[in-house]
Amino acid sequence: MPADSYAIAIPVGGNSRPSRAVEDSGNQNPITMRGSLAAQGNRIDDTSLIREAQQGNRAAFEVLVRHYDQSVLRLALHLTGSESDAQDVYQEAFLKAYKNLGSFRFECSFYTWIYRIVTNLCLDHLRKRNVRKEEAPVGVDSSGEEFNRLEQFADARSGANPERDLMRRELGRKIGAALSGLTPRERMVFELKHYHGLKLRTVGEMLNTTEETAKNTLFRATQKLRGALSEMR
Amino acid sequence: MKCDWVRQNILFYVYNELEDDARYEVEQHLARCPECATELKATRKFHATLSETVAEPTPNLLAASRMRLQEALETTRQGGFWQRLVLEPATWLRQVRMSPALAAVIFIVGFGGGIGATYNFLASGHTGEVAVANRPDTPPLESSAIAGIRSVTQEPGSNQVSIKYDTVSTQEAQGSLNDQRIQQLLLFAARNNYNSGVRMDSVDVLTQAPNNTNVREALMYALQNDTNPGVRLKALDGLSGFVQQDPQVRDGILRSLIGDTNSGVRMQALRLVEPMKTDSNVRSVLTRLAQTDQNPSIRSQARTMLAQMPEMD
Repeated sequence: MPADSYAIAIPVGGNSRPSRAVEDSGNQNPITMRGSLAAQGNRIDDTSLIREAQQGNRAAFEVLVRHYDQSVLRLALHLTGSESDAQDVYQEAFLKAYKNLGSFRFECSFYTWIYRIVTNLCLDHLRKRNVRKEEAPVGVDSSGEEFNRLEQFADARSGANPERDLMRRELGRKIGAALSGLTPRERMVFELKHYHGLKLRTVGEMLNTTEETAKNTLFRATQKLRGALSEMR
Repeated sequence: MKCDWVRQNILFYVYNELEDDARYEVEQHLARCPECATELKATRKFHATLSETVAEPTPNLLAASRMRLQEALETTRQGGFWQRLVLEPATWLRQVRMSPALAAVIFIVGFGGGIGATYNFLASGHTGEVAVANRPDTPPLESSAIAGIRSVTQEPGSNQVSIKYDTVSTQEAQGSLNDQRIQQLLLFAARNNYNSGVRMDSVDVLTQAPNNTNVREALMYALQNDTNPGVRLKALDGLSGFVQQDPQVRDGILRSLIGDTNSGVRMQALRLVEPMKTDSNVRSVLTRLAQTDQNPSIRSQARTMLAQMPEMD
C-alpha cells in the first residue's frame, strides 16, 4: 500500500472534503480526513494565484485564503479551544501571510508555508496558556460565554439517545483532559497527524524539524494519551 | 524481538506512515502472532475513540472570520519592495551573490562614475569660484565654518552657480597692544565673541589701553551690554580712571549703578562714583539707591555716602 493512498482532489473553495480516489485498498486507517490540506492538486492553481497576490491582487489572495481557511480555522479551534481565540489566530495568520507574501519564494508548498505561520501562532497560544495553567477544555465562545468545547463536540453529533449523549460528553471531557496533558509540541504533532491527516514528513517541515523527530513526538504523544485515557476508565 | 519491533511500529502502521517493505513485514507478523494482533486492535480502538469527538468550526464562525479578515485586508498594505529589501537583507544578499553579472555591472557603473566625476573636476577646474567646492582637495565645508553667504548668482542658461561666502578659519595674529589690527580684533572680541572667557580676556587687555577712545567705547559697551557680570566688572575696572574726567564714563557707570542686575557690579560702581558724590547726578542716583536698591548693604552704603556729604546750599 503506497504511502499516498489518499489521492486528494479537493475542489477549490467551498466545502473542500477530500474524497478517496482509491477505494480502500487494504488500508484500514480510519483517520478522519476532514479539512485535510494534503492538496497536491491545488498547487498548480495556487502558483498563479500566489503570483497574482504577490503583485498586489487582493482578490487573488482572498481566493487563496478560501482554499485553506477552513482547515486553518479548524486547527485553531481545536488547539485554542475557544471560538474567539480561533478567530484571532485565523485573522493574524492570514494578515501575516498577506503582509509577507512577497517573501514567499516557492521553496515549499504554500500550504506548508501558511501552516507554518498558523502552527507558530497556535504554539505561542498553547505556551501562554500553559503558563497561565488554565483549564484546557473550558473555552470562551464569540459571545463571551464559557463552554466546554469537548462537550460541544459531542453535542454536534448527539442523537436522540440521552444516555449515549451523556457518555459522549464524558468521553469528550476525558479526551480533553488527556490532550491537555501533552506538551504544546506533542499536541501540535498529534493534531496535525490525527485530526488533519498530514504526513509526518510534512508535519516535520511545518514545525521546522525532521520527519524522524515528528515520528518520535507522535509516538510519545500517543503513549501519553493512551496512558491517560486508560487511567480514567 | 520481532514482536517488540512490530509493537513499536503498529502506531505508524495505523497512521499509514510505514514504508512499503516495513508495512509488509508488519502485516506478515500480525497474521501469525495473536498477541500483536490484539495490540493492533487496541491501537485501532484508541485511534477510533479519539476520532469520535471531532469539532468542526460552524459555518457562522467561518463566515464571521472571513468577513473580519476582508475588512482588515482593506486597510492592510502588502510588504512592498523596500520593506522586503530592508527586512530581508539575507534574501537580497543571496540574490546579489547569485548574480555575478549584477555585481560586475555595479562595479563597472561605480568605476565609470568615478572616471566621469574626475573628468568633470578637471574640466571645471578653471572656472574660478564655482569650481572651488568641487575640488577634491578642498575639504568639505562644515556649516560652522561658514560665517555668512554674501551672494548667490546663477549664470544664465547653465546650472553653474557662484556663491560668495565668508569662512571662519582659525588664524593667529601677534603684535603690540598699540597695533591697530590687534586693537581691532580685541574690540571685535569684546563685543561679539560668544565665549565669555574670550570677552573677559579681551576686556582685560583693553583696560591696559583705556586712553584710546575706541577702547573706552568698547569698555562702555561691555559694561552696559555684556551678559557676563565678570566681564562687566572687568570693564568697570578699566573705566575706573575716567570717572572724574569723562562725564560719559560717569553717566555709563551711573546707568549700571541703577540698572545692573548684579549687586557685585553695583557695589563696585558705587565705590567708583564715591569720589564724585557731590555731582548732582551722582547724588540723585545715590538717593534713589538708598531708598530702592534691592541689596541692603548697597542701600546702607548709599545712605552713609549721602550722610557724609556736605549740605548743599
